[in-house]
Amino acid sequence: MNVERPEYVVERIERPTDIDISIKRSALAQFLDREITRKAAVLLLVAITWELYVRIGDVNALLFPGFLETCAALWELILSGEIFRKAYYSFRILAFGYPIGILLAAALIVLASSTRIGRDFLGLITSIFQPLPAIALLPLATIWFGFGTSSLVFVTVHSIVWAVALSTVAGFAAVGRTMVMVGENYGVTGIKLIRLVLVPAALPSILTGLRIAWAFAWRTLIGAEVIFGAVSGEGGLGGMVFENSDWLRTDAVFATLVVIILIGLAVENLVFINIEKMTVRKWQA
Amino acid sequence: MTSHDRFLGREERHLTVIPPVDDAAVTRDRALIDRLWNIDITRKVTILLALGLIWELGVLSSNVSDQVMPTASATLAAFGEGLASGAIQTAAWNSIKTLLSGYGIGLAVSSVFVSIAVAWRFGTDMLTTLSAMLNPLPAIALLPLAMIWFGLGKGAIIFTLLHSIVWPVSLYAMTGIRGISPTLKMMGRNYGLRGPRFILLILLPAAFPTIISGLRIAWAFAWRTLMAAELVFGGQVSGGGFAGAEAGNSGGLGWYIFRSQMENQTASVFAGLLAIIVIGIFVENVLLRGVERLTVERWGMTRSGS
Repeated sequence: MNVERPEYVVERIERPTDIDISIKRSALAQFLDREITRKAAVLLLVAITWELYVRIGDVNALLFPGFLETCAALWELILSGEIFRKAYYSFRILAFGYPIGILLAAALIVLASSTRIGRDFLGLITSIFQPLPAIALLPLATIWFGFGTSSLVFVTVHSIVWAVALSTVAGFAAVGRTMVMVGENYGVTGIKLIRLVLVPAALPSILTGLRIAWAFAWRTLIGAEVIFGAVSGEGGLGGMVFENSDWLRTDAVFATLVVIILIGLAVENLVFINIEKMTVRKWQA
Repeated sequence: MTSHDRFLGREERHLTVIPPVDDAAVTRDRALIDRLWNIDITRKVTILLALGLIWELGVLSSNVSDQVMPTASATLAAFGEGLASGAIQTAAWNSIKTLLSGYGIGLAVSSVFVSIAVAWRFGTDMLTTLSAMLNPLPAIALLPLAMIWFGLGKGAIIFTLLHSIVWPVSLYAMTGIRGISPTLKMMGRNYGLRGPRFILLILLPAAFPTIISGLRIAWAFAWRTLMAAELVFGGQVSGGGFAGAEAGNSGGLGWYIFRSQMENQTASVFAGLLAIIVIGIFVENVLLRGVERLTVERWGMTRSGS
């Protein structure tokens, strides 16, 4: 049985032209809403509060220098080139330690992903050494290598190996069985399997490991340099912090801290973010 | 011809029941050693023993001085001796006490910071900018300053510890809170929750998985910072000759290691490291895992055993 219904015509409503629904906001409000403005405002506020606190509170500059004094000290350190020399000293140790740590971790991981006993070995040794602060090995390192670059490299390597190994193995374990079987189907085995299948698939967690390793290594290195500064009075940025505070050049201490912060921010936000952009985000993993 | 037959268009089929397989035919007796080897713990213990043996024999055969590298047995003996004399327990307890006071104050400070940041947009900007800026600064670099401000004492160490705790915890807590789905927050508002109750009942539980990662990182940084700080104090004593630094330092594990190294008792250095490892494993695998199990896993927010 057919039901007859009247024709249904959709009436098109014209887009209204005489009503403006946008909210008029002043240029200032728009400007204040931008994230970069707000962050800059925060920094400015911190700097002003800092300076005012020192000026009004009549704080002894030997104990707590003002913002402007810190800037002046920083400028002086830049002009004399001292800050670059010390930063180079610290970076050279990282430039030795980071690749050595990664190579060691890679060797352990290859061992761990090829045999079961290797996996047990790595699991055991990382769970032992991961909770051990690398800096606690510094006294041992000074017995073995003396007060010098080798000791710093040794503790830096220690702070890198376990963090990288731990997160890489966790990443490998999370790679889908299917993915591995696809690789094996292509006849890829051993090291080639690790390089072509496991590493790209586990790259997000490997990068996390590298990031954590950098964070630990940077902290360990600065800590070790502070300690060496206390014991023997040489070293990079950390040693400089200690030395300057020993001489009560507090403005130089603040300036060095600013440099340490800037280096940390640069590595985290320029180096790692770009590596991520070039790999993981490009692959949509 | 029934309609059923027409539909199938093929002959009736009967399944034959296959008799159950005789278990004995397919199972294989494996040698006892094979079965033992398949247990995780056996293999790990074996590896541990093998490593100990290699260490012991390597040191004995290479004829190095025990001041450079003590044997495994000497290390264990020094550890036992340290425990028997109570030196290790005292040192460990001193370190833990300092760490706990720092951790407690740090958590209190960051929860105040985070509460302010949640309530006020400028506060959010302030906290995220400050913590992103100060988090990459190794806390230990502040120790020389802290020593100027607070003297060679516990105050300086706790100040440094605070710095290594407050920023990671705040950073992670803010990240976690930002990731909460708006639906959950609106539900809370619907129930009429606001202010502290809103934070306590909605934001905190929902952001807890991230907060726990923050607590973990903070613990790791704080533990490392504490050890480094105790070593710096050790360096001060030997280098600058500050009397009474041991008392100010209250003799934690880092100091124990430093002193043993200065007295050339390398076996005691190893024993101190062993104590640090044991405490680290305990905190990470028992305390923090326990918190995780009691909260996020029980609430079903993460997979257990991951």
